[in-house]
Amino acid sequence: MTALLALADVGKDYAKVQPRGGRSRLVWDLLRGRSATHVFRALDGVSFEIRRGESLGVIGENGAGKSTLLKVIAGVIKPTRGTMKVDGRVGALLELGSGFHPEYTGLANIELAAALLGLAPDEIADKRDEIIAFAELGDHIRDPIKQYSSGMVVRLGFAVATALAPDILITDEVLAVGDESFQKKCIAWIERYLADDGTLLFCSHSMYHVQKLCRHAMWLKDGRIEQYGTAADVTYAYLAYHEEKEARAKRAIPLAQAATAGLYAIQSLELDAGDVERGTHLTVRGDAYSPDGRAPVIVVGIVRADGTPVFGVASDMDRIALTRIAADRYGFELTLLALPLQPGKYSVRAHAADPEGVRVFDHVERPLFVRGATRELGLVHLQHRWHDGIVR
Amino acid sequence: MHPAPTHASRRPIGARERALFANFYRRELTLRYLGSTTGFAWALVHPLVLLGVYHFVFTSIFHATGFAGQSFLAFVAVALWPWLAAQESMQRGTISIAGYSGMIRKVAFPHEIVVYASVAATFTLQLIGYLVVLVVLKASGEAIHLRGLLIALPVWVIVLVGVTGVVLFLSALQVFIRDIEHILMPVLMILMYLTPILYPLTLVPASLRPWVALNPFSWMVGRLRDALLEGRMALHWADAAAVVVSIAVFVGGLAVFRRLSPHFEDFV
Repeated sequence: MTALLALADVGKDYAKVQPRGGRSRLVWDLLRGRSATHVFRALDGVSFEIRRGESLGVIGENGAGKSTLLKVIAGVIKPTRGTMKVDGRVGALLELGSGFHPEYTGLANIELAAALLGLAPDEIADKRDEIIAFAELGDHIRDPIKQYSSGMVVRLGFAVATALAPDILITDEVLAVGDESFQKKCIAWIERYLADDGTLLFCSHSMYHVQKLCRHAMWLKDGRIEQYGTAADVTYAYLAYHEEKEARAKRAIPLAQAATAGLYAIQSLELDAGDVERGTHLTVRGDAYSPDGRAPVIVVGIVRADGTPVFGVASDMDRIALTRIAADRYGFELTLLALPLQPGKYSVRAHAADPEGVRVFDHVERPLFVRGATRELGLVHLQHRWHDGIVR
Repeated sequence: MHPAPTHASRRPIGARERALFANFYRRELTLRYLGSTTGFAWALVHPLVLLGVYHFVFTSIFHATGFAGQSFLAFVAVALWPWLAAQESMQRGTISIAGYSGMIRKVAFPHEIVVYASVAATFTLQLIGYLVVLVVLKASGEAIHLRGLLIALPVWVIVLVGVTGVVLFLSALQVFIRDIEHILMPVLMILMYLTPILYPLTLVPASLRPWVALNPFSWMVGRLRDALLEGRMALHWADAAAVVVSIAVFVGGLAVFRRLSPHFEDFV
C-alpha cells in the first residue's frame, strides 16, 4: 500500500525580522523573490510516511517544530526545502477545530467547515442535524463560539470531523482540555475512527495518550526528527530524556554553598558496584553536611531511566539515627537485599532533608545498571509460583 | 461508524473556492453590518447623511452654483455612492486579512478570497443604496436618465475591478507593515477632494484640469454624470483606457498579493 502522505527531507525556514525597518526590507525581499537574509530553521531534514489507517503521535518540547510540521502537512505553509507528496485519493485533510471563527455561531462554523472542504450549505443540510446532535451543545449552537468553553469548541470540532469524515485527521493537543469523562469520550471516538481506517496525526504532550492511541510516534527536537519508532519506544526515550534533563538541573550542593546558606547537603554518594547482577545485594553509602550539627534525614531511592520511581525510603521512616562522623558531618549506609530489579538502566538517588524530614534540599544520583538474562516483563521480579496441573 | 468520505478532490475545479467565497461574502454582509442592530441600515443611511451635510454646506452656506445646470443633490449623488464604495472597500479591505488570522494560520486556502468577499460586500451595499437613491431622485422630479445605467453599471464594474487590485496590494502590505491602514485614511480624504465629486471639473483652473482629469476617479465621475444626468450614451477612447488600466491594476495587485500571501501565516 502506498503512503497517504510522504515527506522527504522537508525543511522550513522562518524569516527573522530585524528590529528597525526590518519589515519593509523583508517585504521588498519577498517581492523580488529573494529569500530573507536572516532565518530561523524551524524544521530541517524531516522525512517520514503515513499510510492509511495509521496513527502517528508527534511529540517534542515547546518550539521543537511540531506546529510547523502540522502546518506543512495541512498545506498552510510550503516547505523551504524538500517535498511533501499527498496521495491523489486523499479527499479531505482536517485539523480538528482549525477552521473555526470565534465571531461565528456554532451553526455558522459548521457551514464554514463544510465550505473549507468545498461543500455548499445545501450539501451539508442533511449532515447538520447529525453534527448538532453529536456536539450536544443545546441552544449554545446559536451562540458565537468565542463564548464557548474550550471543551465545547473541541466537542464541536469532533462533531464536524465525524460528519465530514476526513481521510487524514490532525489533532493538536485537543485532549488537554475537558474533564476526565470528556477525554474518555474523545478517546473512544478516535479509536472508532482509527478502526474505520481513518488516519490520524496526533500531537500531544501526554505520553499516556500517545501510547494509547498511536502505533508509531515521532519525537521532534530542534526541528529535526530525534527518534521515530513504535509509540512505546519513542515515548520511553522522550521521558528518559526529560528525566536526565531535570536531573541535570537539580544537582548536588557544594559544601561552601551549603555552609553559607545553612542547607543540609549530601557530600558523597557511592554504590559498591554500578553494575550488578539481578538478585545480588547492593550497598549505598555516603555522608551529608549538617549546618547546625543536628542529624539530617536521608532519602534513598531507585528510579528507572525514564523517571518511573521504583522504590524510596527515608531514614526517619525506619527510625534510623545517622552516625555522626564529624561535628558537621553524618554518614549513612544501607544495603538493598537481593535486588529484584529487572535488567536495565536505573539511577540511585539520595536527598538530604532537614531533621524534621520536611524540606528536601538537594538531589544526588548515581547510575545503576542491572544485568541479567530474563524474558520477564515489568520493573521488578516478583516472587511467584505456578500451580500447574491442579484440578479443581 | 463514520459515513462514507466526502471526496472533495472529485468536485469540479473551483468548487471549494466558490463555496468559500459565498461563505465569506455572507459573513462580511451579516457580521460586519448586522453585527450591530442598526448596522445594515446605517450602511445605507451613512451616504444619505453625508449628502445632506454637503447639500447644507454648499447650497445654504456657500450658495454654490454652476453644477452644469443640475441640482446639487443629483449632481453629487451620482458620484458620491461609487466613490464611497471605492473608499470603504479600500479602508475595510486593507485590514480584512487580520479578521481571518485564525484560519490563515491553520487552514490552506487562497487568501485572496478574503479580499474579494470584503470588496464585494461593500460594493453590494453601496450599489443597492445607489439604485434606490437614483429611483427616489427620479421620482421626485430630478432629471435622471435611468437609461444611463447601461453605461453606469459597466463603469461600476470597471471601478470594482481596479479597486479590487488596489485592495489586494494594500491588504498584502498591511499584513507586514501595520502603518498602511493609518496612512490610508488621510490619503483617501485628500483623494476625495482632488476628485470632482463635490464640484464640476469645469470649475478647476484650466492649467490644473489635465492633472485632475488624470485621476481615474475623475473618469468615473465624469462618465456617470454624462450618462445619468445628460443621457449621453456614446463611448470614448478614455473608456477603453479605463478598462485596460483597471485590469492592469488588478493583475498587478494580484501578483503582489500572491507573492506575499504564502508568508501571511507567520505575520497575521
